[in-house]
Amino acid sequence: MSASRVFQFVLDRLIWFILLLVILFFTFRVGGFLSGPNLINILLHASVLGMLTIGQTICLLSGNFDLSAEGNLSLLTVLATWLMLPYREMTLAQAGGIGWEVHPFIVIPIMLVLGTFIGYINGFLITRLKMNNFIVTLAMQLVLRGIAFVISLGAIMPGTPRAFNWLGGGRIGPIPVSVIFTLLVFILFAYILRNTRFGRELYAVGGNREAARASGFNPERLITMAYTIGGFMAAIASWMLLGRLEVSVPNLGVGMTLETVAASVIGGVALAGGAGTIWGAFSGVLLLSIIDNGLNLMAVDPFWVNGIRGLIILIALLIEAQKVRFRPQVGRAAARTEAGVSYQAVQK
Amino acid sequence: MEAEAKKILLEMKAIHKAFPGVQALSDVDFTVWEGEIHGLVGKNGAGKSTLMAILMGLQGVDSGTITIDGTRFSEMTPSEALAAGVAYVPQRINMMSALTVAENILAGDLPVNRMGFVNWREVYREAEERLDKLGLKLDVRQKVEGLGVAEQAMLAIAKALFSNAKLIILDEPTAALPRPEIDRLFGFVRSLKDRGVAFIYISHHLEEVFEICDRVTVLRNGYLVETREVKELDTAGLIRLMVGEDVKEFERERAPLAQEEPVMVVKGLTRRGHYEGIDFTVCRGEVVALSGLEGSGASALGKGLYGLERRGQGQVLVNGEVLTARSPEEALKQGVAYLPQDRYLYGLVGARPVRENITYPILGRLVRALGLIQAERERAIVERYIRELGIITPSPEQAVNLLSGGNQQKVVFAKLAATQPAVLVLHEPTQGIDVHAKLDIYRIVSELSAQGVAILIVSSEVRELLGVCDRILVMYNGTITREFRVGEPEANPAEILLAIEGGNNHVRQ
Amino acid sequence: MRRINLGGFFLFLVDNLIWVLVIIALVTFSALSKSFFTPFNLVNILYRVAALGLLVIGQAFTLITANFDLSSESTMGLTAMVAALMLASTKNGGLGWETHPLLAILVMLLVGVAIGWVNGTLITKFKMNNFIVTVAMLMILRGAIYAISPGKSASFLPASFDWLGGGSLFKVMQPNGKPLAIPTSAVFLIVAFLVAFIVTRYRRFGRDMYAIGSNRAAAESAGINSAKVIMLVYMISGFCAALAGLLEAGRMDSATPRTGAGLIFPVTAAAVVGGISLFGGRGNMIGAFGGVLLWAILDTGLNIMKVSPFWIEVGRGALLLFAMLLDALKVEYLRRVSVQKALAGNPIGLKDQAY
Repeated sequence: MSASRVFQFVLDRLIWFILLLVILFFTFRVGGFLSGPNLINILLHASVLGMLTIGQTICLLSGNFDLSAEGNLSLLTVLATWLMLPYREMTLAQAGGIGWEVHPFIVIPIMLVLGTFIGYINGFLITRLKMNNFIVTLAMQLVLRGIAFVISLGAIMPGTPRAFNWLGGGRIGPIPVSVIFTLLVFILFAYILRNTRFGRELYAVGGNREAARASGFNPERLITMAYTIGGFMAAIASWMLLGRLEVSVPNLGVGMTLETVAASVIGGVALAGGAGTIWGAFSGVLLLSIIDNGLNLMAVDPFWVNGIRGLIILIALLIEAQKVRFRPQVGRAAARTEAGVSYQAVQK
Repeated sequence: MEAEAKKILLEMKAIHKAFPGVQALSDVDFTVWEGEIHGLVGKNGAGKSTLMAILMGLQGVDSGTITIDGTRFSEMTPSEALAAGVAYVPQRINMMSALTVAENILAGDLPVNRMGFVNWREVYREAEERLDKLGLKLDVRQKVEGLGVAEQAMLAIAKALFSNAKLIILDEPTAALPRPEIDRLFGFVRSLKDRGVAFIYISHHLEEVFEICDRVTVLRNGYLVETREVKELDTAGLIRLMVGEDVKEFERERAPLAQEEPVMVVKGLTRRGHYEGIDFTVCRGEVVALSGLEGSGASALGKGLYGLERRGQGQVLVNGEVLTARSPEEALKQGVAYLPQDRYLYGLVGARPVRENITYPILGRLVRALGLIQAERERAIVERYIRELGIITPSPEQAVNLLSGGNQQKVVFAKLAATQPAVLVLHEPTQGIDVHAKLDIYRIVSELSAQGVAILIVSSEVRELLGVCDRILVMYNGTITREFRVGEPEANPAEILLAIEGGNNHVRQ
Repeated sequence: MRRINLGGFFLFLVDNLIWVLVIIALVTFSALSKSFFTPFNLVNILYRVAALGLLVIGQAFTLITANFDLSSESTMGLTAMVAALMLASTKNGGLGWETHPLLAILVMLLVGVAIGWVNGTLITKFKMNNFIVTVAMLMILRGAIYAISPGKSASFLPASFDWLGGGSLFKVMQPNGKPLAIPTSAVFLIVAFLVAFIVTRYRRFGRDMYAIGSNRAAAESAGINSAKVIMLVYMISGFCAALAGLLEAGRMDSATPRTGAGLIFPVTAAAVVGGISLFGGRGNMIGAFGGVLLWAILDTGLNIMKVSPFWIEVGRGALLLFAMLLDALKVEYLRRVSVQKALAGNPIGLKDQAY
């Protein structure tokens, strides 16, 4: 075990130690941190973030970014509310829906299908048309938000039906449904990534796309699948969040994209692809949620909190950059640079 | 030419360089004189690129020194290399293509007026003048990306010349140049010799090496084989140096084929710019080699059979069925597997464990419903191949990039063998591997063929091939020019090398 | 040997597309609304978009080097707030220091440059991803704005401070006899773009920017210190953001925690529509100015026509998308042309590439 390997081992587990430290910090600094209701609060926030982060992690593992999930979130929640709510004149930026009062049993599948489809379109544009994933998903986010604004006219729409709210707001005993659900989903995805062909293919394509292709995988299909899953997770997150809030807010989810990237990076998912685990991302989600909650309890100005979030992201990135230095070189493949004076181009 | 004391411009001494899994250079002594055009030849992976990367300061050395014009460097950075007068003209253009020719020439040093503002008229004038001095006429206001490739190449060379380089590395400069342009290029290069500029000329067009170089150095598997005056060599001799003096160590037991059962039949395969009218057959259990220098079309053909590149027109039959595969995924399904030349780039996902790398292509067979991998079956298969192929690894969970080169290659082999292909195409299977592992590799090949796999080896390691193949097909300039049956008198290294080099061609019957 | 070919024509059209669009937009809106093509309105367009324009200059600088600066809107907001706090009286939301306007401006500019320096350091020295760094800064700085201001606005700033953003330079007499005030900011905007144009076209530093954006490694082998240039570019972007803050605070006579929020998208859109490629190394300030103009015309025109602000949002997004698509297509086409020229007329005997 060389020094660099030990270092890397620690770095990979670092997050859990940090998590512990942070929990201890808040426990002593703030009263009521470890109380039942507060922990539930943390987990509620973590649930939605967790769903979105799963989608982001899967895209990151394949070597791509998904910057559009929050737009998806925005559009789907607005659309769902618009369909479900009874009609009401718009007053003081509060409105009702279109008046069809569609039953949640129909609305929920529509959300899921639409969200998944949007994810698929992302994947299609990126793999078939070979467009840059940053740009495509960023633009998609703009478009989706724009449409959400058009539908909602910027108004908030309160009052989603109970049948709909079950996932986000319901409880089984004292424990919220969403928490249990999220836990199950994480377990499911962790299992999938470890034990299924899809998981293998994901890591292979993210680790070395061309070697994956030469090994019989289809990277384009895999990446499209990754984005499709991202879309699906965004749909689930929408259902959950809307169910909890019971009102659609036009600016929903602003900034969550960066949170999902941060959670993934903090949890050890490499921005370059091919490395990281679902449970790592989970730890990142927990950390961010705990810090959010703790700072809130300490009555820190909410906008400070945002600033701190940004800071955490930077630190996480710094650590990631250092980690890359210690990862064993994969021979010449690691020396990939743009210009022709790269080693790869020199070599024939 | 009178004998004058040749002044040494570049001296690289005792260069050792290793990467994880491969010894790229071993004890290389490389010297270039002032005003000399020094050819550097060797197969892919022989170490040319590593040596040049070191010279340019892009890579460090494990041991050894570099001395340029009397100044010794042990650790060199790219800017030091540049300052010492080393310039590199790459095969693929490396210029600022969105900018104009003039700006590329004068980048970093644009003419300004007294107040520091760029004087554009002067920029264009100066650029034209500099090009003129070299006899080059280009539209300096044109963006580089709008130039043709030939023009881009010449501009790249001109740029190197402008930076007062003392030693210019030309990397396959004639790849896209038609004859008249090549003449012009050679004209420049020669005219600079008289000014004391030295060139390292890397090319696999051996005719050109003979045309323009004074001396030539041959690298092979990380060793410097020899440095000789070009006039003391002929093409055959050069190829012999490049391609193999290794003693044949492996001899495969060849059972005469009970019946000839063609597994792969290639008919009239043609791909513009690469190969033309390719016909051959590989039978069950047969080991056939496709030998040719770079540019002969052999590599492209190998990749085309696997769907990594386009195959072109013509037909390929595998076990009687037409090969329609246009991607490796489809090729594997149709029974064709391929061992890539660069295992780092195409063969392995380095960060993943041995177990995963071996089973990538066969996961379809190992899954139950919903894509769940059956861990037990996987483990059994992996263990079996690790054992059979003699892969040395602490455990199947070891990341492959931590294995030695030979073992990495075996992992790739295991992966391919596990797919139980009908045809196995191997591209330079022993490149960058030490002698012991080479024996292992050929043993594996031998066993696979005994099991009935039809094997096609793209390689020009003639002596090694003679030990393992049944037939050797030589490719030159895009066509198969000769076929040798191993065991017959004409199948000897000299004849084969000659054919590879293009001499003694007669069309196969 | 300039060839007339379809591809070349396509490129010319795309490169100058922005002006075509500007003209189309002008004509369309003038036809649709009588109050559009008046001197007052046209001048007003520039007046309203001055801050955005400065941000576009900063963004264009970074884009040309193939980097992003997504934090500039927050820098703008922060510097505006800092100045406002220094200048406004306590009852108007400020700190009550009521410093001299020039001092406030100086501080603003320093803060802007400092933020640019931080961005530049993280990106060049620590080699972090520019996209994520500047987005993180976007968030951090916006948080800082809320942190330093009690959440409300600081208003009623000294007239001399407001002059650049809200004052007028001189008056001209219109044909109808009414005097028309020419806003300082409009003139400043034009001057700023002129300066930017001169720097990018006629200074070595500017040409180095293009070189780096087109091919950083090649630029470095030509001796250009890319890290230094990129650092400076980010500092310039910060500086421009501070100027934008000055213009906006001057125009609104106040600064709120939301000053500048959300501008990053129209800024990027205007730059890209104006021909500044996201891939770096292409585009010029004149085109970028055209992008700003187009944006302003669309904004004002659609407003005058009472189009719902939400449709305007969608339209903006669509325009950005369209511009980015065009940009990607253009660069892809250009990169492929050279390769095609190599393969054209390639008989057997011109050898296959190893890869």
